[in-house]
Amino acid sequence: MSINKLGKGLVVLASATFLFACAGSDDSSSQDTVPVVQEPTQPTVVTPPPKSPEELAKEANDAARQARTVYFDFDDDTVKAEGRTLLEAHAWFLSKPENAGVVVEVQGHCDERGTPAYNLALGERRAKAVAQILMLNGVQASQIKTVSHGEEKPANPGHDEAAWEENRRGVLVYEG
Amino acid sequence: MARVSGLLLGMFFTFTVQAEEVKLDFVISDGLDSARPVAVIPFAWKGLAQQPSQDVATVISSDLRRSGRFNPMARNQIRSLQEVYRYEDVNLELWKEKGIEAVAVGSIEEQPDGRLKISYDLVDVFQREQEVRNGELVNVNRNRIDTWAIIIPAKDLRFYAHKVADRIYEALTGEKGAFATRIAYVSVNKSLEKPYSLMIADSDGYAPQTLFSSYEPIMSPAWSPDAQKMAYVSFENGRSEVWMQDIYKTNSRRRVAAFEGINSAPSFSPDGRKLALTLSRDGNAEIYVLDLNSQRFSRITRSINSIETEASWTPDGQSLLFTSDRGRGPQIYKQNLASNRAFRLTWEGNYNASAALTPDGKTMVLINRTNGIFHVAVQDMETNAMQTLTETSLDESPSLAPNGSMVIYATVYRGRQVLSVVSTDGRFKARLPSRQGEVKAPVWSPYLN
Repeated sequence: MSINKLGKGLVVLASATFLFACAGSDDSSSQDTVPVVQEPTQPTVVTPPPKSPEELAKEANDAARQARTVYFDFDDDTVKAEGRTLLEAHAWFLSKPENAGVVVEVQGHCDERGTPAYNLALGERRAKAVAQILMLNGVQASQIKTVSHGEEKPANPGHDEAAWEENRRGVLVYEG
Repeated sequence: MARVSGLLLGMFFTFTVQAEEVKLDFVISDGLDSARPVAVIPFAWKGLAQQPSQDVATVISSDLRRSGRFNPMARNQIRSLQEVYRYEDVNLELWKEKGIEAVAVGSIEEQPDGRLKISYDLVDVFQREQEVRNGELVNVNRNRIDTWAIIIPAKDLRFYAHKVADRIYEALTGEKGAFATRIAYVSVNKSLEKPYSLMIADSDGYAPQTLFSSYEPIMSPAWSPDAQKMAYVSFENGRSEVWMQDIYKTNSRRRVAAFEGINSAPSFSPDGRKLALTLSRDGNAEIYVLDLNSQRFSRITRSINSIETEASWTPDGQSLLFTSDRGRGPQIYKQNLASNRAFRLTWEGNYNASAALTPDGKTMVLINRTNGIFHVAVQDMETNAMQTLTETSLDESPSLAPNGSMVIYATVYRGRQVLSVVSTDGRFKARLPSRQGEVKAPVWSPYLN
């Protein structure tokens, strides 16, 4: 129950963040359009009607949700701060009533270091850590499916630190 | 049993066309200095048909060299000394001069029905020919320390060459040989429509055969003790599931475990009646034992938040070794199945995983991380002293030969995942690179009858 309340609180907080972010972008876009309108040789350009706060929030959120991967440290299942912010953006979208039917597959992946069977279990832990953050932010458990791929599906086939960093990841798969 | 293994061999030798796909590449190591000098004289061919393409003496010599215990004399050097095929004709003085300890001779004789008769003798060059008995010096002929003859289907010649190598190894070391065995492994070749394949090959990498191919990853193959079945993890349905397959029967795959969460790390009990595996159906990854008769699962570990996985059976079948991170970071534990009490076995380094005991139970083989590098290591079960066996990094999936003398494992060499072999004493190392793609998850078969 308390988790549910906290989830709602976070959603409100997240929405406020987006509104704030959008206010800034609104300013710059209206400035950009000014010279175009005044250009006499150009056909008349219709200035689009100002966007509602909801639309702006949605646009900012859509942009933020382009990224679907969060990263982890070696043998660790703690989602880092930037990953957490990304997951909150996904949760903001997924927890909307109109998206209640959207099911997200959360994949947990590991780098090649360590043993494959241990990494399969570690990948599951990572997927569950991601799922937990989504749920804390209002996504229903029924919307989430977790699956571990262990070290079997590297994003980068290399065998160095840079590849490993890319491969220790949680990935959200859904349409929308 | 004889009938079954005959069928089994027949299936393998149909695939000799692909024999060149996996090739052994020997790495020089310190161990060769102490390897014992022996000579396998090319076997005589007696028959009307063309001499078999499989050169028995070469197969035997390669096996002996790969054990790290022996340094067989090069063929052209043998030819310049003496080329005989009967043990009576072995000139002991000649071989003694060259410091050769033992000489193997033999012949292959074509039978009227097309089968082949392999005969072989092993001669100990330094065995005394006289000894004192009841105060008297008497002549004894004990130079011939092993002899064997068997009639076999012609297509099984190469496998029986491995059997001869096993006999030589046992006669000279007192330990059973493990050359006439097989390895299973997973190959990943992204250029194929189904990139993931579960393969079985001879212990020297020859005659690879595909057991199962998939669009999705395959993990953790495990042999049944009778070498008739394999259990493995397949992602063909989008997530990890445990499957079992009869090696010599087509269309015999069946799904053993597909619970919510992960289903992984299968391991047959020594009597073949049970399968230990890892399931996370109750929340976190825990070890279970599946009774293959009753199909009942019993939960073995009961932790709250830790990973419990990679179960392997002690040779007596009474306990399981497994990896657990209940004490922060993966370490090896042993749990007796009757008392259910677990003890931690590893204390060196902050990552120990994938453990198994040698058949005598005295040594544990595992993966240890020291200074960020993953090595195959052994730990003495009495003193708990740990010794690193490899100089490679990123080692994983160690698997013991049935005689406990060698470990096959996966590692990365020149940017590619390859299979490697190291002797349990760490002295000898060899690589088995694949021509295409990557290979991993090797497992050595039990003895084949």
